[in-house]
Amino acid sequence: MPATKIGDKVIRVDAIEKARGEATYVCDMTLPDMQYAYMVRSTVPRGTIDAIHLPEMPEGYYFISAKDIPAQGKNELWMIMKDWRCFAEDYVLYVGETIGLVVGPDRATLKDLRDQIKIDYTEQTPAVTIDDGINCVGGPMFPEKNSNVMCELFCEKGRPMEEVFAEADEIFEETLTTPYQEHAHLETNSAIATMEDGKFVFYASAQCPFYIRKSIAGLLDIPYEDIIIRQCTTGGAFGGKEHFPDVLCGALLIAENKIRKPIKMVFDREEDTQFSVKRHPSKCVYKTAVKNGEIIGTEGHIYYNCGAYLSSSFVVLQRGVFHANGVYTIPNTYLKGEGIGTNTFPTCAFRGFGAPQTLFCFETHLTHLAHHLGVDPLEFKMRYLAKKGDETTTNGHIIEDVKLPEMIDVITKESDYWNKIKEYKPGCGRGIGVALYNHGGAFTGNGEQAIIKAHARLTKTGDKVEIFVGSTEMGQGFRTSLRKICAATLGISIDNIEYKNPDTSKVVDSGPTAASRSTMIVGRLVERAALEMKERWNEGDFTTEVEYEHPEGYPWDQATFRGDAYLGYGWGAVIVEVEVDKLTNEVKTLGVWSSHEIGKAIDELIVHGQINGGIMQSLGYGSMEKLENKKGYFKQKSMSDYVIPTSMDFPKQFYHIQENPYPWGPYGAKGMGELVFNGASAAYVDAVERALNCEFTSIPIPVEDIEEALKNV
Amino acid sequence: MEEVKCYMPQTLAEALQIRKDTGAQPLAGGSDLMVANSRGAGIVPGFKKPILIISNLPELKGIRQLEDGTVEIGALSTSWEIHTSPVTHPLLKDAASRMGAIALRNSATIGGNIGNASPKGDMPQPLILLDAEVVLQSVDGERRMKVDDFIIKTKVTAIRDDELITKVVIPPQKFTHIFFRKIGMRRSNAISKLTLSAAANIQDGVVVDFRASSGAAGPKVERSREVESLLIGHKVAELPDLKGAFLDAWCSDVIAPHAMPEYRRNATRRMLEYFIDSLVAGHPEGRVE
Amino acid sequence: MYNDVRFTLNGQPMVYTGNPLRRLLDVLREDYGLTGSKEGCGEGECGACSIIKNGKLVTPCIIPVGSIQGAELLTIEGIRDTEKGKCIIEAYAEGGAVQCGFCIPGMVMATYVLLNENPDPTEDEIRLGISGNLCRCTGYDLIVESIHLAAQKGAALWKK
Repeated sequence: MPATKIGDKVIRVDAIEKARGEATYVCDMTLPDMQYAYMVRSTVPRGTIDAIHLPEMPEGYYFISAKDIPAQGKNELWMIMKDWRCFAEDYVLYVGETIGLVVGPDRATLKDLRDQIKIDYTEQTPAVTIDDGINCVGGPMFPEKNSNVMCELFCEKGRPMEEVFAEADEIFEETLTTPYQEHAHLETNSAIATMEDGKFVFYASAQCPFYIRKSIAGLLDIPYEDIIIRQCTTGGAFGGKEHFPDVLCGALLIAENKIRKPIKMVFDREEDTQFSVKRHPSKCVYKTAVKNGEIIGTEGHIYYNCGAYLSSSFVVLQRGVFHANGVYTIPNTYLKGEGIGTNTFPTCAFRGFGAPQTLFCFETHLTHLAHHLGVDPLEFKMRYLAKKGDETTTNGHIIEDVKLPEMIDVITKESDYWNKIKEYKPGCGRGIGVALYNHGGAFTGNGEQAIIKAHARLTKTGDKVEIFVGSTEMGQGFRTSLRKICAATLGISIDNIEYKNPDTSKVVDSGPTAASRSTMIVGRLVERAALEMKERWNEGDFTTEVEYEHPEGYPWDQATFRGDAYLGYGWGAVIVEVEVDKLTNEVKTLGVWSSHEIGKAIDELIVHGQINGGIMQSLGYGSMEKLENKKGYFKQKSMSDYVIPTSMDFPKQFYHIQENPYPWGPYGAKGMGELVFNGASAAYVDAVERALNCEFTSIPIPVEDIEEALKNV
Repeated sequence: MEEVKCYMPQTLAEALQIRKDTGAQPLAGGSDLMVANSRGAGIVPGFKKPILIISNLPELKGIRQLEDGTVEIGALSTSWEIHTSPVTHPLLKDAASRMGAIALRNSATIGGNIGNASPKGDMPQPLILLDAEVVLQSVDGERRMKVDDFIIKTKVTAIRDDELITKVVIPPQKFTHIFFRKIGMRRSNAISKLTLSAAANIQDGVVVDFRASSGAAGPKVERSREVESLLIGHKVAELPDLKGAFLDAWCSDVIAPHAMPEYRRNATRRMLEYFIDSLVAGHPEGRVE
Repeated sequence: MYNDVRFTLNGQPMVYTGNPLRRLLDVLREDYGLTGSKEGCGEGECGACSIIKNGKLVTPCIIPVGSIQGAELLTIEGIRDTEKGKCIIEAYAEGGAVQCGFCIPGMVMATYVLLNENPDPTEDEIRLGISGNLCRCTGYDLIVESIHLAAQKGAALWKK
């Protein structure tokens, strides 16, 4: 078999088995004497639990709750903090909070039993929206602080804002908001717990097997090694299965500890839509100081709705703040972020991890400022493009060459942007919009070294090599691209590389499959391990293992959020063209043109798929995906009322990949999975605004919201 | 939850007898009832009444055109069959072809779509414009009524416990111009936010017939013959003067304002105005896009 | 006691004797072990469970098994080793159509029906043909291209 080269076109290793329907997802698994579990959840957004009335449980049926957590264990899941309770007791903080499980052999009987459980609550007034949270509606969630602020940070650069504002000709102020978004991975959340040789074994649809282990071990106060997580083929995740599997597995662990039989829990779609984590809704208040038609400073107040528990919200908020000035260098900035607690389902990771919210808001804010100043938005934005060496909002520097001008050149030519903006007069029904964006690769600052400490291991047996890392395939193609990196580095065929779905008892912890870090960080680790293996290739069968090393000379202070937040960014530019039906406000998208700088594409076909899919999710976010929370309850409950794009909604996309090799990535590659989500919604809104000569300060913009905006024309 | 009885008759006569004896709820394609009663994966749906599976009754299948142009559509005809039939009316085809997902259109039936009386059902809207009738059969005989009268309100129809919908009958139509729009939450595979059909018959510059019906905008399909009569019998040349009163009446009288958020009211008005303007502008016969 | 339901499944005659109100999807996955049909929504909205009934694409999550009396059913397991099935599956792999894969067996079934009815579809016809099959990963472009590829590579198969 010929050696695989990085530029080769390869067939994804998982494509055939998935297309044949042979890949095993959790829902496809059946174990002997398997029991089923359903969650019993809070039906009120805030209140005390006064009593739980159980029906008589037939033999072999159980109600599992906080009471089943043994004395040495703690009723807490460890994500960033340990605030998320495995089972609510005494009080509930949101609709859908886990109170218990019903477990037993027959699903219909279990649902009957669940329906018969009656819980008495004394309801309290919930805080639902960001503004509710800011105003402590229903009383502060954190009485000791007399506030609902869960987490906060700020960063500043240049001169004090009072001084900048005093000097300005005008201050352009806007409040923009972004909504909830549901991951809508086609496979719902699911897990199976069982026992093997005295250890607790989980089969899970999950991004981060090691996160689960760490999160749930404290429930029984057992060593991590007594819990084994085996990732099954995972049917999409997008951040929705980063921390949330802990919530399923934690509850199952308590049940398993008592029942000691295989227990399977698969969410129905309605449960997954209403009772799983979401993207954080945001509110961004920007004040931009303008002097002589130029921006001299920006102040941003950023609020994210975190729901009732922190989960990953503080990190999401940090990323939101670090991306709150987009791809621009503005001399004086003050950016403050607050994570607001509310009585809603906790929000957590979702592709982009906090960046899409601020990027949409700031990009749209600049577009509106350009309208206000009478300049073409793209021309206006290009004046402020960040370049190598520029100071960032965290007082670090842009370390790499920024190729945005070249990328803009490609897509403006392909889309005929400059001619079309002349041809399409504002309000003519056709419009073309643009957005520029970036995404910091991997964990913030030195987090990869200080917090994650990722490892990778390779084992050589004859002429075969197996990769042992905890990184997961969830559809993004990593099982293929990591093998490709390994094979190309070793100079052998990709067919001689094995990389199975991780089992925490067999692989080393390479960190979470999140933060667009897999190719950039884990890929690099595997490249290093493979280089070492190549040198020793003739030594017979052996193992190599490497640990992450942070490049010297790029300081970061996590206490003050100062320094080089990211060593490398992915960069993006996208143009969207639309036609709006003036009778019905229906928007038809005519074209989508994108360019992305991701260092180097390890596999162009995989990258192409990520670009298409990420842009489509972003277009859905901007256009149609409406998830509303009324009084603590999600209004959309299924795939027919929470709609995601179909094959008919958006046209074939033009894509371009800009090379710019990154010195610390494998073959020059950087992260890209999240970057591709970060811009298209703003470009779409820009295009619709131009087509209708109106402005939007929130998304999505379905027909009825367009009707509202047209009132102000 | 108790399991309900399920009947699987082979013939219409058998089905009608079961219906009379038990009042069992008819299930044709299942696309509505199976979802409405779903209890999740691996569990039998939680039907509350006995079920009469009528999916395979040959008497309820087929679409045919009679000599006078009347079209009879068997109650089990699927959306796909209606969409692809050479004899069904274009407005009904439009509605059928935009209903739900492709796979759903191969299961969902016209009888079910009418019988469910869901405000979001796609087919009643053009059927009501077309003055279609529904044929109801019981062991005691047959009766017919306009679809408009059959559907009383959301989820309520005039069907008796011993009857089955056997077919839908569409009288011959003569229109020179038709207009159809469905606005969904996305471009395919979407529940309707608003649907509108309009049709006119223009002969020698005179509006001989004019109809409009709107769906998904309220508890029931909206149509008013009284408002339509504001235009009927007038010359096309008079339409510019008449349209204001017509549109006002349509959008305030026909449509209960509380049932019609602003978007639906405004978009309906714009579409109807556009259709009328197209007639005035001498749009060629056929479909107004 | 229930009435028997007789039908053909992937070419094999079957007699089902259980509750006719069960969802066909549960019967396929749990009684017959045909887990290639996935449950994405349970309401006929996503297409992940798509199978072919009498030549037409249907979603067995909303079909009671009692209504398939006399029907011919094909699931992914029934087509994956046929010439046409292999043609589609290989084109999907080559064209990069597969990411998380959960929608893909249903998408393959939709493709099978599409190409049987229309051996040389345009891009718009392909997009319409898979419009009932939701995919959250790919943005559809590479699925559409893979279907083109299957139409080209299997031209002789589809035009029979």
